Amino acid sequence: MKTNEKVDVVIVGTGAASSVYAALLAEAGKSVVMLEKGTARKLTDLYSSQTWARRLKWATPHVMEESKDSIWYNFNAGHGYGGAAIHHYAVWPRYHPEDMKEYSLYGQALDWPYEYDELRPWYDKVMMDVGMSGDAEKEIWRPAGDPYPLPPVLVSNHGKVLARGFEALGMHTSPIPMAILSQPYKGRQACIWDGWCDAGCPTGALANPLVHYIPRAVKAGASLRPDSHVTRVLMDNKGVRANGVEYYDSEGVKHVQHADLVVLGAFTIENPRILLNSATSKHKNGLGNSSGMVGKYIMSHPAVTAFGMFEEETQNHIGATGGQLLNQDRFPKEKGSFGSQQWEVALALKPNDLLGIAMSRADLFGSDLHSFMKKASRSMTSMVAVVEDQPMIENRIELSSKKDKFGMPLALAKHTWHEETRKLFHDTAKEGLKIVKAAGATQAWHSPPGGQHIMGGTIMGSDPEKSVTNENAQCHDIPNLVLGGGGIFPTSSCVNSTYTIHATAMKSSRYIADHWGSIVS
Amino acid sequence: MTLSRREFVKQSGLALSFAVAGTTKLLSPADAYAEGIAFSVLSDEEVNNINAICSILVPGAKEAGVAHFIDHQLNADPNDSLLVLKYFGFPPPYLDFYRPVVSAIAKLSQSMFDKNLSDLDEKEGRKLVESFRDANPEGWQAPPAPLAYHALRNDAVDVVYGTPEGFEKLGVPYMEHILPPEGWS
Ligand SMILES: Cc1cc2nc3c(=O)[nH]c(=O)nc-3n(C[C@H](O)[C@H](O)[C@H](O)COP(=O)(O)OP(=O)(O)OC[C@H]3O[C@@H](n4cnc5c(N)ncnc54)[C@H](O)[C@@H]3O)c2cc1C
Ligand code: SF4
Repeated sequence: MKTNEKVDVVIVGTGAASSVYAALLAEAGKSVVMLEKGTARKLTDLYSSQTWARRLKWATPHVMEESKDSIWYNFNAGHGYGGAAIHHYAVWPRYHPEDMKEYSLYGQALDWPYEYDELRPWYDKVMMDVGMSGDAEKEIWRPAGDPYPLPPVLVSNHGKVLARGFEALGMHTSPIPMAILSQPYKGRQACIWDGWCDAGCPTGALANPLVHYIPRAVKAGASLRPDSHVTRVLMDNKGVRANGVEYYDSEGVKHVQHADLVVLGAFTIENPRILLNSATSKHKNGLGNSSGMVGKYIMSHPAVTAFGMFEEETQNHIGATGGQLLNQDRFPKEKGSFGSQQWEVALALKPNDLLGIAMSRADLFGSDLHSFMKKASRSMTSMVAVVEDQPMIENRIELSSKKDKFGMPLALAKHTWHEETRKLFHDTAKEGLKIVKAAGATQAWHSPPGGQHIMGGTIMGSDPEKSVTNENAQCHDIPNLVLGGGGIFPTSSCVNSTYTIHATAMKSSRYIADHWGSIVS
Repeated sequence: MTLSRREFVKQSGLALSFAVAGTTKLLSPADAYAEGIAFSVLSDEEVNNINAICSILVPGAKEAGVAHFIDHQLNADPNDSLLVLKYFGFPPPYLDFYRPVVSAIAKLSQSMFDKNLSDLDEKEGRKLVESFRDANPEGWQAPPAPLAYHALRNDAVDVVYGTPEGFEKLGVPYMEHILPPEGWS
């Protein structure tokens, strides 16, 4: 076993949440080490190929599923510097105020420990840091916030054709808010709309962790260690404070990294897995788990893609992968199919991979497939709906009896949609077909359900008996153990989670930096 | 846009390094097929069967080098693997998927038509695929048949349509930022 020199902060992971903690805490003068289970990676390793993009994904199993409705871990998780966020599509809408007080307003789901107004300044700050494109006026559903620093992303014929369908049904579209540069910003170049975002954007036009927060962290002295597989958080002898983590390097050598503050930013499923695997005689059910809430309330957005075939050319190869337009008309939460729903409209398409043209008609093969590919490459449209998932205590992560090569139990996921979510999903799929037909499609069809943005499992709350962390993402039980990522969200909204992951991580890091003495002593 | 072979390999999103006579050569799967590069994991029979079933699923898959692509990837560290199987949650090693699945499809061809996969005509090929696309056919002893359909079909789609040459066939510009570097394997 190797014991490394103690640091102020050890951060597990190098993805969206971890990169923000690293930048802010390093800039506050703390010594910071980031431990990343996957490989070291640079922007120039991001090759334009949907096939090569699969290197960004795990193959070794992390999660066993006993779910009726899969959480889709393999699709959602990523490994290596930047985590899943390295090839995320940068669709960055904000949570709405009502998403954060659903229990108070509707008697359903949960409340956050604070309201939207408290998060708003952090959204604004992140937006100005990384550069976002959008149109605050036209985005009529947008909660209060500063205007976007950059004009909207490109709208090609793909977006224009689909906008017709929304309009015909009396629905609204606006430019989609994106952490992609429509114009040069702070020395970074603008997007060129070639649709390679899923393979990872190497130009710096898309705000992945390697573009903004990791460089800031490194500049302020933080260091990154790849191939460092964290298995446990370590506690002091009294069992009161976290004092570091245990990890294995690529040679299988065990290391201990002591620190005054431990931040887990290992993605939604891995954070509770590490906490549960860190049980000690004083924390028999795992760390931060005196409430029994670690692993509970797992959520994954149900998603459905609506496709259309048109007579005209749609230019579906142009634009950003995440889309061109947004619709959030169905945000209000209705009884019977409770939850919100949004459409991301006109996603740039490539021929292959899970979200590629060929998979949109997975039943076709042989010469039928070839004819379809020829036609669809010119004249198909694509828009994806994201549906709110309900926090339900029975949807959870436990430890499996199966173990990985370091002897760490795999996670076991149990997840079923709420019946109202199921209804909302089916209504949404039907709505998608209606919109595409109203736009003039000669054929309209939709995908089977998928899962996007895994959240919950280590939720925030005011009541230590009903949640894992407080409003600053510190474990109620162990104040110098902090959790980053969508795992702390008590509700899922229907919006993509990464902007809110950044905002919550920034809020928490600022608090920690300002109250360092009382938190670590 | 017409690409010479050298340009194609350089520009291919699928240039992989193959061992040739003690050295490493960067080739696209299509060139590996054209040059008859030896296989390192798959047997001759498996290669023939993969070529046959993938060509039924996606015409042109054999010439695009689907068997070389799969063979190459079976040698890779699973976490670096380019196979779509990764997404479907099948645990590595992936040979434990391809070997039984390909053999089960070959057996199905024998039991349905008393023919080798490579001897099926278009109509028979279609019937065969329809018999395992949506559910396990009777007597199927391998990982789930629909998973076999999706994985093999996607492998074939990757080599036929997922490369600059494939994009060109569809009339779509490739517009790459960075292509995989030479020597990467
Ligand atoms: C294809 C795709 C498209 C997406 N598009 C969008 C979008 O448009 N908008 C949006 O908001 N979100 C999007 N997302 C989701 C987004 O990527 C995630 O919300 C975000 O990355 C989660 O941030 P995180 O910090 O929790 O985890 P990650 O960014 O995944 O980072 C976690 C890191 O921790 C590391 N790690 C895990 N376990 C350990 C361990 N035991 N020891 C050490 N390190 C460990 C991982 O290797 C990883 O690098 C998309 C995701 C995918 C996959
Ligand atoms: S479309 Fe824009 S953000 Fe996406 S990969 Fe291309 S340049 Fe980068």
